[in-house]
Amino acid sequence: MKLVLDRITVARDEWHCHADGTLHPGIHLVTGRVGSGKTTLARIISGVLNPSSGKIIREGISSSMLCQQFPEYHVTGATVAKEAESYGVAAEKAMEIAGLSGLGEEDPFRLSRGELRRFQIACLELRDWDLIVFDEPFSALDCQEKQRVSRRISLLSSRIVIVFTHEQRYLPRTDFLWEMRDGVLQFLGTVPQALPYWETAPGHVRMLLENGIIPANLTEEDLREGLCRMQG
Amino acid sequence: MQDARLRLFSVLLLSVASFISTLGAILALIWLFLYPAYLKAALLSKAYYLLLPFTGIVALIMQISGGDGLSYFIRMGVLLLIGFTIFRGWAPGEFLDLSVWLLGRRRGFDLGLAIEITIQGIDEATRDWSRILTTMKLKGMHPDIRNMASVGFLMIHLRLLRARDQADLLTTRGYKSGGSCCPDFQASNRDIIASLCTILILFISFAAVRDIFILMM
Repeated sequence: MKLVLDRITVARDEWHCHADGTLHPGIHLVTGRVGSGKTTLARIISGVLNPSSGKIIREGISSSMLCQQFPEYHVTGATVAKEAESYGVAAEKAMEIAGLSGLGEEDPFRLSRGELRRFQIACLELRDWDLIVFDEPFSALDCQEKQRVSRRISLLSSRIVIVFTHEQRYLPRTDFLWEMRDGVLQFLGTVPQALPYWETAPGHVRMLLENGIIPANLTEEDLREGLCRMQG
Repeated sequence: MQDARLRLFSVLLLSVASFISTLGAILALIWLFLYPAYLKAALLSKAYYLLLPFTGIVALIMQISGGDGLSYFIRMGVLLLIGFTIFRGWAPGEFLDLSVWLLGRRRGFDLGLAIEITIQGIDEATRDWSRILTTMKLKGMHPDIRNMASVGFLMIHLRLLRARDQADLLTTRGYKSGGSCCPDFQASNRDIIASLCTILILFISFAAVRDIFILMM
């Protein structure tokens, strides 16, 4: 199973973005500055948008899903239970994972954005998608939930999971690191070997690297362990 | 055309001209080419092509039953195009300016605000529609009648939620009735000349209709 981005280009007036590369199963973390084209690329990879040129080759990928930046964009059901059904998953199980048990008859728009996000990610987890693209999955979540969601995303590594994010602290266990630089998607390599080349690395990761410590990965535990090594 | 007053004046005259005669409709269509960017945006609008077939059906029925269906189709088609072209050229806040200029800061402000909120609602509904279709595609749902009913419900629901938020915002900002707004209009010579041309178009279209009446008599 692999996803090939074959010389993808998106151009809008002066703005442009390019992507070229092959993505294998595992967690791919894509970072970059605001306006660098992360959301556009996420939409192209998931088939919602067409690129200006180039093509996407999906080998062995029969199902894919995009987790959009704003959870309310996903709502198509009149109740929380119907919303779960629209993903083809068991409502009770999704509500249990999201901590919303007993709210099946509730209007999805009555949930807070954070609750809706949790629920949406729970629905995504419950189906066996070959490709999942997360566009800012940690938005609208508090620290505790960010940590929980990043752990749950880490468990999906048997599929191709692409996480586009600005999140600095709570990141999933990452296999491959990518970065948008001047409108071009760059593959930095596998984690942890790629970490020294990461330009938009979070401050604490950069601090560890500057002190000669390369953390095993990007999860909170790995970074804490790296910090302990630094302090001797 | 930057001046909303000239735009309203032009759209009214062009609409009447298109409605009353085929010649008026053709001249109005030529006039629209003065603003090609707006015309192009209108021609790219999906809603225009959704409405046009209904005009076509009525025109076809008219033609079959002995009326001038072709003329009706041209006139109504151009009339719709005028509406879409002017709508595309409209910037947020212009209706409020126009309404305050016409009716003052009390009734004019209220009316302008209502129009602005309605137009904003149309824009939001268009975006909601697009997002919901994207989501349905992602979820593997097909846009059949049953799903469309729930989409309709969802769109109304979203509109009501936003209306509540807007009402809260207006209340928080102390809105009761009327408000201060200082309309500022900027008209170029080109826009003034284009607007004056619409008077000529209306006059010609009236003349064409009058000639027909004379011939019939």
